[in-house]
Amino acid sequence: MKLYPTTALLFVALSALQACGGDSSDAGAPDAASVTATRSVALLTSGPVSDAGWHAGAYEGLRWIGDSLGFRISHQQTRTPAEFDEAFISYAEAGYGLIFGHGFEYQDAASRAAEQYPDVTFVISSGSRPSANVVPLIFHLNEATYLAGMAAAAVSRAGVLGMVGGVEIPSAKGTFVAFEAGVRAVNPDATVLETFIGNWDDVSAAKEAAAAQLRQGADVLIHNVDAASFGFFQAVREAREGGREAWAFGMNRNQNDVAPDVIVGSAVIHIPAMFLRAARAWGAGTLSDEVLYSGIAAGAVDFVLNPAREGVIPDDVLAAIDRARAEIVAGTLQVPRIEFVEGEGGAGPEDPGVQGDPLPS
Amino acid sequence: MTPRTRARLRPEFLATITATAAVVATMAVAAALLALGGHSPGEAFAALARGAFGTWDRFVSFTLVRATPLLLTGLAVAFAFRARVWNIGAEGQLHAGALAGVAVALVLPGAGAVLVLPVTLLAAAAAGALWASIPAAMKTGMGVGEVITTLLMNFVALFLAQFLVQGPLRESRGVFNQTDEIPAAAHLPALLPDTRLHLGFLFGVVIAVGLWLYLTRTPGGFRLRAAGASVKAAEVSGRFSVAPVIWLSFLVSGAIAGLAGWIQIAGVTHRMYEGLSPGWGYTAIAVALLARLHPLAVVVTAIVFGALSAGGGAMQREAGVPEVWVRGIEALVILAVLTADRIVQWTTHSRD
Repeated sequence: MKLYPTTALLFVALSALQACGGDSSDAGAPDAASVTATRSVALLTSGPVSDAGWHAGAYEGLRWIGDSLGFRISHQQTRTPAEFDEAFISYAEAGYGLIFGHGFEYQDAASRAAEQYPDVTFVISSGSRPSANVVPLIFHLNEATYLAGMAAAAVSRAGVLGMVGGVEIPSAKGTFVAFEAGVRAVNPDATVLETFIGNWDDVSAAKEAAAAQLRQGADVLIHNVDAASFGFFQAVREAREGGREAWAFGMNRNQNDVAPDVIVGSAVIHIPAMFLRAARAWGAGTLSDEVLYSGIAAGAVDFVLNPAREGVIPDDVLAAIDRARAEIVAGTLQVPRIEFVEGEGGAGPEDPGVQGDPLPS
Repeated sequence: MTPRTRARLRPEFLATITATAAVVATMAVAAALLALGGHSPGEAFAALARGAFGTWDRFVSFTLVRATPLLLTGLAVAFAFRARVWNIGAEGQLHAGALAGVAVALVLPGAGAVLVLPVTLLAAAAAGALWASIPAAMKTGMGVGEVITTLLMNFVALFLAQFLVQGPLRESRGVFNQTDEIPAAAHLPALLPDTRLHLGFLFGVVIAVGLWLYLTRTPGGFRLRAAGASVKAAEVSGRFSVAPVIWLSFLVSGAIAGLAGWIQIAGVTHRMYEGLSPGWGYTAIAVALLARLHPLAVVVTAIVFGALSAGGGAMQREAGVPEVWVRGIEALVILAVLTADRIVQWTTHSRD
């Protein structure tokens, strides 16, 4: 029988693993009781935390929680919903009381796990279904991309602008709808191109999409991808090296340092600060079981200019951006967005949640 | 003990020693890499073992659940490869099956489980087989190599799935690129109470036994193995024609891969979305080859791969090892096992 040695060896390998584990399993095993004594917070991301954007912000937030609140922290990168379930269950059973699922994709698995573990709180970034212990955390990044759109329109000489997105989900689409509105507030005749590459991490696809928009005459581009942004910025950089006047805008995290030579400014979510506030509220027992909306007024998002490129935008437009920011904070300017939280059914501009700051600071 | 049996034992013994050395050496490399990255190798491997086998529930709810799609696609690949049909298209056939199962489940909302489960499973198997029938027709009819055609059909299936979940099959809210949740009647029941393990794993084991019996106990299985051993010899012998054997292996392989896709949805995710599979159809090739294309051994190798991925999750959670490192360590472990397996093969066969 050819089969037996192979099978036997598999078990040799496995028992080797077990043996390696044997000596330290007492020290390493998470003991549920000791974990709950100090509060424990976990984070799930569906992409690498080295993306200098969406996921990096979440991981930074987790570290802030560990550093400033002294909570025990842990992170897992997951790929498929089967893994989402597994990770939620594992963390809940290991005594983690607050689990962040950083993206809409965690909603279903969180709802399932929440029923099974009523004492655990699940905070889902861009989540869509609140329940007793599932709290969607919605960032109104569209308010920041609106301001970015105003700046972009002022920078563009061609009057053609481009947007490169990841997957066409409402939270991403909403940032583009608002960007376009911001562009039109400054230049009503501008042409705005839009491409979704179908994922968040494909660097070459993002580069191709950006290059295609540049070929179509666009000279100012914004993205909403994760790790793929490196390719996006590279396309703009290469266009500049080819002698063209081209600019880019960053997204999700302050990316002005990622490509300071081509980035005019970034539409930023202060994810770390929001995570820290959510964790603090959870620790104090005041984290509500409602949707947490947070925009510019709550200090959760903003448009941040790249100090190295400040002269690019004319002073009158800078003043207009500041006015628009003040109007957004005051509630007199409603930035277009796409609603996706269930039960708030396509709530219009009057949605009272928009301006509020539901999190105690 | 007669001299004859001593002579038989010695190479086996030698093989075990060399193979164990290979495993230990590779694990040492993995441990060194972990230490270089600032992670405790002991803690990391302990977490890996705990995540995969730590408790009965970990083994059943994590490892076996993760092994299920690999078991089914692994069987699909192993069966085709036995007939020398290089079906690289399990990934696409999986998506075809998943789409068909979801579509049927969603148009039968009121029906009971007794009707929905068999109908959806049949639909998934048929869709997988249909997807495999295109490369089968191209191979038998025109002599087009199936390595290229099955591989390219994967991309067609992936884009078809993307199109369908963004369009016709999109959830009725019309917000996210995913289908509606399938009705409860279409959920695969739990295989063991209070665990996440669903009937799909049992289907996999039953299919493995069925394929093994077919291959070893039936004239059809003999013909398939004969065609796999040498197509020319089989043709020259004139005892049977090879084309039906090739068709059969394509269709059965596609059907099993199609089941894998739908079973993952019916048993775990309960809806279809973009990026359903993290490449199970490709990992399946490693699963099948490591099992030397033996259907019963595929059960074991699928569980090993399932254990590695479940343990990899625990390595991240409990030992703080980042995902890229975990994948590297997983690859090293597989490499260790493959190397050991090769050593055993060389040493024990050198005297034949």
